[in-house]
Amino acid sequence: MESLFEIFISFLIIGIGAYGGGLVTIPLIQHEIVVKYNWLTLREMSELLAIAQMTPGPISINTATFTGYRLAGVAGSIIATAAVVLPSIIFFTLLTPIITQFKENSHFYRINKSLQLGVLSLILFAVWSYGSAVIRGYLDFGIATAAFLLLVNCEKKLHPLIIILVCGIIGLIFF
Amino acid sequence: MQKIELNHKEKNILLIDIFLTFFKVGLLTLGGGLAMSPVMRYELVLKRKWLSESEFSSTVALATIVPGSISVNIAYLLGKKLRGWKGLTLSVLGVVLPSFITILLIASFLLPFFHYPKVVNFLRGCAIAVVGQLAFASLIFGKRLIRRISHIVICAVGILMMGVLKLHPIFGLVVVSLIGYWFYPG
Repeated sequence: MESLFEIFISFLIIGIGAYGGGLVTIPLIQHEIVVKYNWLTLREMSELLAIAQMTPGPISINTATFTGYRLAGVAGSIIATAAVVLPSIIFFTLLTPIITQFKENSHFYRINKSLQLGVLSLILFAVWSYGSAVIRGYLDFGIATAAFLLLVNCEKKLHPLIIILVCGIIGLIFF
Repeated sequence: MQKIELNHKEKNILLIDIFLTFFKVGLLTLGGGLAMSPVMRYELVLKRKWLSESEFSSTVALATIVPGSISVNIAYLLGKKLRGWKGLTLSVLGVVLPSFITILLIASFLLPFFHYPKVVNFLRGCAIAVVGQLAFASLIFGKRLIRRISHIVICAVGILMMGVLKLHPIFGLVVVSLIGYWFYPG
């Protein structure tokens, strides 16, 4: 049993850093859960991400519920999920009056843009660290590239979920 | 900003309706994040007419500015707009519960099967697709953001800090943002 307090703090940090949401959260989750605490291996983490992409809801919440449950049962999953949601609620309660006032301000525009640039480097780093953890041969690389190209070319027509499922079936047949 | 008078100003929207609507949105959106906003728009603006188009889009913009999961942020803001703190409690719970319940069921019943070779191979295939998806997400982001060579250099600095120097991602995010600030015109 991991201490519930450690789980809480760790997911609170993930909640704070989840700027932009979704896939952006992955490097941060990986740092907290895999690198810092060894709660999951990188392999388990990549499986968890695949599951998170196939189930409803935001990745950060899926990961929190799953990891919390693995570490400390239902209590752990509740603590982790609450911790990951809490920062949004606190930020909004404190910041909404300020943000609505400065939304048109040019400094605010620049801060927002530059934060997004920071987020871009986070995702690019995630591509590298995940790619090197999951891809172990030319076939794997080919599948990842095909998935990428399909997403680029059929953005509106093809649901991302279908691509993930198809790649899963390819894995089932060829690995 | 001029606000159009809509349903929620005239009649009280039932709290249970708020909960059920956001529960449905949470259940129907896979992957989360901005993928959730078209579904929310359909449910809240087009179908139920609780909000106007402009109210909705300004809410989504605000939701992406503040840290945290975008869908939770949107649920918070809309719930608050519709029925104050009671509304926001139920909308946030509604949007979070479907993923919480699904993952809890998977973790408690399906976890033992995760070691079967066939399941492992299937999940590995899926995980590879997620790498492609990540690459796609960075492409979309980059297209929107990168306007000069200096932006690419700043990103590279961020990746080096996290990848080579092994610094905490939040630290990398803050440094890149601080440098980036000077390279975006006001």
